[in-house]
Amino acid sequence: MLRSYLKIAWRNLSKNKSFTIINIGGLALGMAVTLMIALWIEDELTFNDGFEHSDRIAQVLANRTFNGQTDTNWTMARPLEFVLRDQYSDNFDHIVMCKNWVPQYLEYNGKKISKTGNFMQRGAPEMLSLTMVGGEKDGLRDMNSIMLDESTAHALFGSENPIGKTIEINGEFGVRVSGVYSDLPYNSSFHGMRFLMPLERFIASREWARNVISDWGNHSFSLFVQIADNTTFSNVSSKIKNVEKDQHTEAQFNPELFLFPMKDWHLRSQFKGGKQAGGRITYVWLFGIIGVFVLLLACINFMNLSTARSEKRSKEVGIRKSIGSHRSQLIKQFLGESFLVVMFAFASALLLVHLSLDSFNDLAQKEISFPWHEPLFWVASSMFILLTALLAGSYPAMYLSSFKPVEVLKGTFRAGKNATTPRKVLVVFQFSVSMAFIIGTVIVAQQINHAKNRPSGYDKKGLVQLPVMSKEFAGKQDLFRDELLASGGITEMSTSSSPTTGVWSTWGGFVWEGQPDNFQVDMAWTWVSPEYVESLNLDIVHGRDFSRTMATDSMTILINRTAMDYMGLPDPVGKHIWFPTDNGPQFKMKIIGVVEDVIAQSPYEPVKQSIYAYDRANNASFYNLRLNPAHSTAENLASIEMVFKQHFPQLPFEYQFVDEEYGKKFASEERIGMLSGVFTGLAILISCLGLFGLASYVAEQRTKEIGIRKVLGASVFNVWKMLSNGFLKLIVLSSLIAIPISYYIMDGWLQEFTYRIILKWWIFALAMLGAIVITILTISFQAIKAARSNPIKSLRTE
Amino acid sequence: MLLQLNNIFKWVNSGGQRIFLLKDINLEVQEGEFISVMGPSGSGKSTLLNVIGMLDGFEEGEYTFLDEPVHSLKEKHRANLYKEYIGFVFQQYHLLDDLTVQENLEMPLLYKKIKGTERKAMVADMLDRFNIVGKKDLFPAQLSGGQQQLVGIARALISSPKLILADEPTGNLNSSQGEEIMALFKQLNDEGVTIIQVTHSEKNAAYGSRIINLLDGRMI
Ligand SMILES: Nc1ncnc2c1ncn2[C@@H]1O[C@H](COP(=O)(O)OP(=O)(O)OP(=O)(O)O)[C@@H](O)[C@H]1O
Ligand SMILES: [Mg+2]
Repeated sequence: MLRSYLKIAWRNLSKNKSFTIINIGGLALGMAVTLMIALWIEDELTFNDGFEHSDRIAQVLANRTFNGQTDTNWTMARPLEFVLRDQYSDNFDHIVMCKNWVPQYLEYNGKKISKTGNFMQRGAPEMLSLTMVGGEKDGLRDMNSIMLDESTAHALFGSENPIGKTIEINGEFGVRVSGVYSDLPYNSSFHGMRFLMPLERFIASREWARNVISDWGNHSFSLFVQIADNTTFSNVSSKIKNVEKDQHTEAQFNPELFLFPMKDWHLRSQFKGGKQAGGRITYVWLFGIIGVFVLLLACINFMNLSTARSEKRSKEVGIRKSIGSHRSQLIKQFLGESFLVVMFAFASALLLVHLSLDSFNDLAQKEISFPWHEPLFWVASSMFILLTALLAGSYPAMYLSSFKPVEVLKGTFRAGKNATTPRKVLVVFQFSVSMAFIIGTVIVAQQINHAKNRPSGYDKKGLVQLPVMSKEFAGKQDLFRDELLASGGITEMSTSSSPTTGVWSTWGGFVWEGQPDNFQVDMAWTWVSPEYVESLNLDIVHGRDFSRTMATDSMTILINRTAMDYMGLPDPVGKHIWFPTDNGPQFKMKIIGVVEDVIAQSPYEPVKQSIYAYDRANNASFYNLRLNPAHSTAENLASIEMVFKQHFPQLPFEYQFVDEEYGKKFASEERIGMLSGVFTGLAILISCLGLFGLASYVAEQRTKEIGIRKVLGASVFNVWKMLSNGFLKLIVLSSLIAIPISYYIMDGWLQEFTYRIILKWWIFALAMLGAIVITILTISFQAIKAARSNPIKSLRTE
Repeated sequence: MLLQLNNIFKWVNSGGQRIFLLKDINLEVQEGEFISVMGPSGSGKSTLLNVIGMLDGFEEGEYTFLDEPVHSLKEKHRANLYKEYIGFVFQQYHLLDDLTVQENLEMPLLYKKIKGTERKAMVADMLDRFNIVGKKDLFPAQLSGGQQQLVGIARALISSPKLILADEPTGNLNSSQGEEIMALFKQLNDEGVTIIQVTHSEKNAAYGSRIINLLDGRMI
């Protein structure tokens, strides 16, 4: 029986080639999209699963409340570790204090490379279940040791055995390689951790770090823990909740500690008002929903084409019933056919995914590989095929098998007619979804553009920054600047303690004249050289710029426009800020000017109140170079590199274009926008494919009618209008459904951004117009073909 | 007795009106009979045949087939009864276009869940008997009308039904083809198969042992 069914199905499919291609093609596209999204989601959900103890690792976070606003921070005071170790050690398998993502220069045998890694305490390799390639796992025991990941070891040592060799760090001290571990996978929070050194090593080489060893007010470290087997995150969280508050009694910001489990780091890392508030998981849901909808669209094509063609199948149903078939047997037969189609579609989908996986990975910034070898994948795929076959095939099977033999065999039966309404409903559904996708994509693109076009406050073009965290740079900035200016490669250079595109430190605790009572200060603080404003092309709003020639300027600051409001100083120039101590005010600094707001953090959020302080103590982390517009970028860079090599012959010449760095702020949204754009395109393609098939079917069904009308004098345009009208009505109806739904959803999405677009009616009108144009193009091909056919011919074939 | 119809009424409602398709049909058919149903177009011949063949229901009356009360049977049970004992032959042949002659013959056996080897033997038998062995791999569209009807009859016969229902089996055939079919029916009837045929031709009706005349859904 099965063979007979398959035979019939096969013959049916090969006889109606265009129908089959549309059906299999549409389903294959839909399944490919769904597969791709499934792989993407799997990748997102298994983030950090590579760590053996991922279900017991957590980071300690603190909710700290400033002026009624609760922020969730990961920065911890150094002594917290000691308290946890002394009083709470039962709860933990590992307590690891950490200074993470520190770029360092590693030098071996004259070869010098810059790598980013972590300074962590001894338990780290165990906690992170590092896979050792060589050396010992307990590699942080000795303070002067370093563990390297495999690719860094290779970059530094080539084929030489690195274990036991000594590496020079920043030209300051030597460390012995104690172990080499496998590179951490890209889908883990510690991806890119090129080396591990003991935290003690970090502290020993920095005076400030030695000074804060018992300072609860300095939050400069992060703290990771692995909880014990016999407890839970929430248990431990409630135990340690008040540790910081109890120890740091003078803190006014009511710190509350809690554990942030590793499984949430990637997908649920947003906090609002001290509460976990989703994060990337939103996009996982979003894409999951898109995947389901795209599959639905493809299944709808199958349903619609099957029922539209039912007239052809109705006779077969009648005959089969008249020679003894039960309805259930017919249902099985039709389900078998859809199963066959879905199998073919799935095979094509696999091929599609296989071929496009590389581009998809590029687009999504992933390294997903096809899980050919995983039995689970094939089990899931079988379920997927079965589910899709049922989804796509049930309705046609029920519908087709319901025909009464007496009716269909009489030959007067118009089978397709009965399913017209469900078919219309399905088409409306398809187009509502497609249109909602269009609207969503347009709005995402608009929002990204909106933020991109937001004035950044400074001139990003032609601005280059050099990271200068190595000791070698210390004190050389003036000489370096002079020679760069002389080389003609730049027109100005400044230094700063944070990059232009980020805020690396915030500060509180200082006061100013006219400060409101009980005001808990939290401001971005950047140390800059006097040419900062000049090199960035910042506008001075009030007052004046720093001046090298005025000796008193070393105790001056600039504030940004937002800070005027924040500090409550409508006329800030000339006012002072200082740090109060028992011995009176310290570091009294004068505000000499106000500069334009600079978007250093999120382009979707308001600019933070900021202070730029005259750097007199060598706090430079970056040199900011304004390239000379008279020369080409390449020439400028060549001149700069030459000067650089003279001064720092040991160091690799590393630089970043500030506008590129700035562009990275949009990367995440842009990626999401791009992905959803691609999916939207595919969804529309699938819907159009179905519409195309449907239109060709309707045209075919009405061949005779068209013939008669043409004989009676109808023009091609008349016929086209007749055939298109029905579909256009459906599209308009779809808009009425899609517009309010997408408005609601997108409005909700936009609420996440403080700086956002206002939804305008024309976006929706445009989407509707677009859908109408696409529809017309799709169906016109068939309509015009039918309208232009020779009426005599079509009448004769009836 | 093979089957019995008692006071069968069949109607449809159309525009608030009740249109009778069959009115008070009483009919008894013995095994081995060869009955011809005649009457003008629209008189309800096909309707009657479909009711007897259980392809169509009726609104009132009783229908007993081999002592089973058809009117009160469940759909599934009725289909089994039908599948076991009844074969249909149509004016338009109604072969499955996508299947070859051989596969068309095989189909009813598949629905009866007959094993492969036995099935093959029965199909071969039937091809042989109807002299269409040479045509077994052709599709219906590649056969003449008469040949198609032969296949149609062979398909109806293959599951050895007790009753063959034929609705104008020769309606689409020329007269010599028609005679051939009628001779075949006669031969089958002689072998013991009960036949009820609808026909417009007196000559074909004469092959039968009894004639039923219908007018406006009523037996006269
Ligand atoms: N579903 C229906 N609804 C309304 N009228 C019907 C329906 N089915 C059949 N009829 C009517 O019932 C009458 C009997 O139809 P039937 O097909 O049995 O006639 P017939 O005797 O076989 O005619 P012919 O010799 O032309 O085949 C016809 O008038 C037909 O129009
Ligand atoms: Mg008839």
